[in-house]
Amino acid sequence: MRLATPLALSLAALLGTAHAADKPVLTVYTYDAFAASWGPAPAIEAAFEADCNCDVVFVAADSSIGALRKVQLEGDETAADIVLGLDTNIAEAARATGLFAEHGADTSALALPTGEWTDTTFLPFDYSYFAFVYNSELTPEVPNSFEALAALPEDFKIIIQDPRSSTPGLGLVLWLQEAYGERADGLWEALAPHVLTVTKGWSDAYGLFLKGEADMVLSYTTSPAYHRIAEEDLRFQWAEFEEGHYLQIEVASVLKSSKQPELAQQFMQFLLSDTVQDIIPTTNWTYPATQTTTGLPEGFGDATPKTTLLMDGVEVEKNRAAWIETWQDKLSQ
Amino acid sequence: MQRPPLHSAWPSRAAANALPGLLLAAGLLLLVSALLILLASSQPGTLHLPNRAWQTVRMSLLQAGLSTLLSLSFGVTVAWALSHRRQFLGRSLLLSVLSVSLVLPTLVIVLGLVSVFGRAGWLGQLFSALGSDARFPLYGLGGILLAHVYFNGAFAARQLLTQLEAIPAEKRKLVHSLGLSPWQRFKVMEWPAIAGSLPTLATTVFLLCFTSFAIVLVLGGSPRYNTLEVAIYEALKLDFAPARAVALALLQLSLCALLVLLSNLLRSHSAQISSVDVPHWPEPPRVTAVQWSIVLFAAAVTLTPLLAITVDGLQAELGRLIADPPVQRAVLTSLSLAAVSALCVLLCSVFIVRTQVALSAPRQWGECRFAPALRAGIGFSATLYLAVPSLVLGLGFFLAARQLPGQLSQWAWAALLVANVLMALPFALALLLPPAQKAALRYDRLADSLDLRGWQRWRVVEWPLLRRSLGQVAALSFCLSLGDLGVIALFGTADLVTLPWLLYQKIGSYRTADAAGLALILLALTLIVFNTIPRLFHRKYP
Repeated sequence: MRLATPLALSLAALLGTAHAADKPVLTVYTYDAFAASWGPAPAIEAAFEADCNCDVVFVAADSSIGALRKVQLEGDETAADIVLGLDTNIAEAARATGLFAEHGADTSALALPTGEWTDTTFLPFDYSYFAFVYNSELTPEVPNSFEALAALPEDFKIIIQDPRSSTPGLGLVLWLQEAYGERADGLWEALAPHVLTVTKGWSDAYGLFLKGEADMVLSYTTSPAYHRIAEEDLRFQWAEFEEGHYLQIEVASVLKSSKQPELAQQFMQFLLSDTVQDIIPTTNWTYPATQTTTGLPEGFGDATPKTTLLMDGVEVEKNRAAWIETWQDKLSQ
Repeated sequence: MQRPPLHSAWPSRAAANALPGLLLAAGLLLLVSALLILLASSQPGTLHLPNRAWQTVRMSLLQAGLSTLLSLSFGVTVAWALSHRRQFLGRSLLLSVLSVSLVLPTLVIVLGLVSVFGRAGWLGQLFSALGSDARFPLYGLGGILLAHVYFNGAFAARQLLTQLEAIPAEKRKLVHSLGLSPWQRFKVMEWPAIAGSLPTLATTVFLLCFTSFAIVLVLGGSPRYNTLEVAIYEALKLDFAPARAVALALLQLSLCALLVLLSNLLRSHSAQISSVDVPHWPEPPRVTAVQWSIVLFAAAVTLTPLLAITVDGLQAELGRLIADPPVQRAVLTSLSLAAVSALCVLLCSVFIVRTQVALSAPRQWGECRFAPALRAGIGFSATLYLAVPSLVLGLGFFLAARQLPGQLSQWAWAALLVANVLMALPFALALLLPPAQKAALRYDRLADSLDLRGWQRWRVVEWPLLRRSLGQVAALSFCLSLGDLGVIALFGTADLVTLPWLLYQKIGSYRTADAAGLALILLALTLIVFNTIPRLFHRKYP
């Protein structure tokens, strides 16, 4: 009986959350970390709502791919106006669904390592590079290329993610493919003994790494910035690889089925404003997609990879299944 | 052999006993079939299996077979030792911890195991201090087996202990008077007491390991030990080929059906009802020493990872976390959801068990020709969720919700509830069926002759005998739902955030200290619930 009251109250609260219908509602599907209370979403929502006379609702899926699949399942009736957080590796699959419209934004402010942006469907809002992160106190010496890593004694361990369930995991497969082409298969074989384990997602991998299980973990060049800024912990670094680093550009796109395309396009342009771009670095722990007046916070450091690698999305889409299949074979041996 | 009913109202009464559970089981089967069809037909594509499927099945069979064997061996050994070591400080803590491991979020337990068995873990440090650089092989088959035994072996031990403690005092006295050795005693008295529940237990454990996902990846070391579940995830998420996912799910379901069938053939009716006072005689010191070692070993293995979770959690800013409104909301959401789930599981399992009993009791439908087939069907429907990936179920629900009136967030609640009920049912039945069958065997004739029926009969006959098990069912289903991440991620409604979901979000954005704190809160909540709920059921009946 004692349980009944709070139970009834919370049920009532949960069932009664219908939004006031007088303002237009702009619904953005995104991944969980983006929508979290400590992520970029709350500040972006507040800033946009200040002017738009609308209600912005962020809906969190378990991943950006999850958000896309949700829209696909919902079809034309989807509540989403915008899908935010896909990366260029999966954007081609998203384009093929035919669900997405022109973003309509002026992209002249973009300052991406790849130079000019010509895609009129997907709009970049931040980026980072895949990189192996290490704790400089525990692992003072790190390799400077995949080949150097493969040549190390076998007790030098890395943790990676599965390309079938995680975007960094897929990024690593593409990274080696882009850097080594046909030689990638052989290199995977040489790397296999160094792979301590392959996790389902970034969280598991990073959690194990922080427990001191491996020398390096597949993450981002921007990960050390989190430890420096939020935890004032200077030990974490990323290892620069000579082959270059694979870029992950996060994009947003408007759905054709959106009932308020103008508001959605307004939001897309807003994503490139200094307001949003200054929110991004210390909430999403990535680089902003534009050069803002304030610039990057200090903890991000000046160093970025000398060489940038990025594969054309169409090629990724064409070969992804085969590459993953080979990856699985090489690592399972 | 003719056995005429004692009472003319017999057929209709037996039907009344069997019907609600039958309808419930049929409803579950229908629901899952409908969801699968809905999903398969949502996108163009044919049902076909990927090339690798059979290879995956072979490796998973091996892995799950070994995991089951080890889990049950652990369970039988530990239950045996604990049934003889009946009084020591911390016994009740150990008992509740044994049940708790199953219900905590996978990642929390994995990180706890890593703290103990990992490269930089306590065990490694102990070895180093002793001058050895030996390490537990945590990544590879070893790690998978360790984690699976941790999750399932402990549960098996707890459940088998209940069976052992239920051996009637008369039988114990008789066996004692014969002066048998511990091994002979085990053979004639203890093994028969647990053998009947082993097939069901083995099925449940096997399916849990066969469909394991996060563990086989994180501790597997390489994709070698992938399960079909991983392939289903790939099909649904990365390639968006729902038809292929459904084909894989159907393969998994067929294997599950086969297993349930097998375990139904093997199951016997040796179930016992808990007896309150267990007579105890001193044992030879050698035997006592073995029992103590087993108990100590079990305590070390099960407690240390939880201790590691506690140590990590205490380093978080617990005060700030507890005062944080999103955390409070998540705790409240999780608790309400768990309470409703536990109630639903209790109701469903009572009805299904009633049906199962009616179908096997000789005085009801036990000798009917269709009874075995019906029993297998009901067993299958209850074990269903272990074989249907939650991702498939969740997406199915998601599609269904869109075609029904009402808000998505309301359907998210419904889906979460159904998923939680389905998840807990196999465990609930494993706990409830043995004593219920025994009750029927022992009291059916008497109850019939007294013309007890319906609610009266349940109140007088079943409730007093089953209430301890019901308490366990309530606690287990409550905690399972408390720790489940489940289908919630698919609905992604901002107003439905549970505690495990919040925890994963924290880890997913570098906030490992907060996550450790939340893990400790979750662990504490689970332990409290596990110790409180069964007590509510122990009260003397008015």
